[in-house]
Amino acid sequence: MSKSPQNFSGLDRVIHEPARLTLVALLSSVESADFLFLLKESGLTKGNLSVHLSRLEEAGYIQMEKTFRGKIQHTEYHLTPKGKSAFDQYRKSLGSIFNK
Amino acid sequence: MNVQIDTTVKRARAYWFVDGFTEIATGGLFVILAGALFITRNTSQTPFLSWFLSVTGEIIIVKIVSILAVILGLWWLKDHFTYPRTGFVRNRITGIQIFVILRNMILFLLLPIVSLFTASLFITSTGSVLASMPVWFPVGLGLIWAAFVVLAGEWMGLIRFRLLGGITLLTGIGVGIWQAAMGLPNVPAAVQPTILQPPLLESIDRTLIGLDLILVIFGVILMFSGVATFLRYRKENPQPYTDDV
Repeated sequence: MSKSPQNFSGLDRVIHEPARLTLVALLSSVESADFLFLLKESGLTKGNLSVHLSRLEEAGYIQMEKTFRGKIQHTEYHLTPKGKSAFDQYRKSLGSIFNK
Repeated sequence: MNVQIDTTVKRARAYWFVDGFTEIATGGLFVILAGALFITRNTSQTPFLSWFLSVTGEIIIVKIVSILAVILGLWWLKDHFTYPRTGFVRNRITGIQIFVILRNMILFLLLPIVSLFTASLFITSTGSVLASMPVWFPVGLGLIWAAFVVLAGEWMGLIRFRLLGGITLLTGIGVGIWQAAMGLPNVPAAVQPTILQPPLLESIDRTLIGLDLILVIFGVILMFSGVATFLRYRKENPQPYTDDV
């Protein structure tokens, strides 16, 4: 099983999905971002974005925070240390697959 | 795939420049600083030391006030225009860090002049180096700024910064050539003793004129770039985002 193409060593299946990879990449270089920014930059629909954000949150890779900007409630997402580590590891693993 | 990941990462990094406001504000800051430097030039016969101390004090006040105004202005503009259209991003760089970066950049501009002047008080030969500074300072400054702008552009994936860097370099070279064409020495007098060395104060004044010109030209170019970016951004995002869009 370990030699199966379905199980490239080190590739995190949560991040490997292109939409989630985009979200994690976007969040990796900022402190936090709101739903609208992620929606615009990822090009996903609202429903799709919500599903992928939930999946990342379940994995402990991102954290949602409800804040107020003025009087408007605001939802921000940020990458957790676990998410950052998983993203760094994913990039390394991706490189090593091609190097081998 | 990795290339696409990098592009995505860079897109998030460049979000601070997406609406053009940052370039307009920074360009405006450069123009204000150039104006302050120009106004405070030692055109009268004021003793150099008292003029220098007075200018330093005034420039620091102008810097602090204008940088604070720029930060507050940017914060307001982004809060009312950009964030409702394309969302809010909290950068890792805080307002205080931006203040420190801008302050250091400005110090970086003035430091070579102050250092050379101070050194010239102790080392006789520095005077001759200083004499050729009006020619070489703009070229060096243009080169350093161009490298900084291009590298920042590469880090954020902003192609227009390559053009900005190129124009900055050409501006620096242009100002240096202009100073040389006015008869100022382009090599230290010690290297070429036949060159008539202009008085120290004139060298400093001409160096400040060169700095002034670069600040103005770079500031105006940044503002143009910012306006073009803003117009494109507004065309792409005419209305604040609503669920109906």
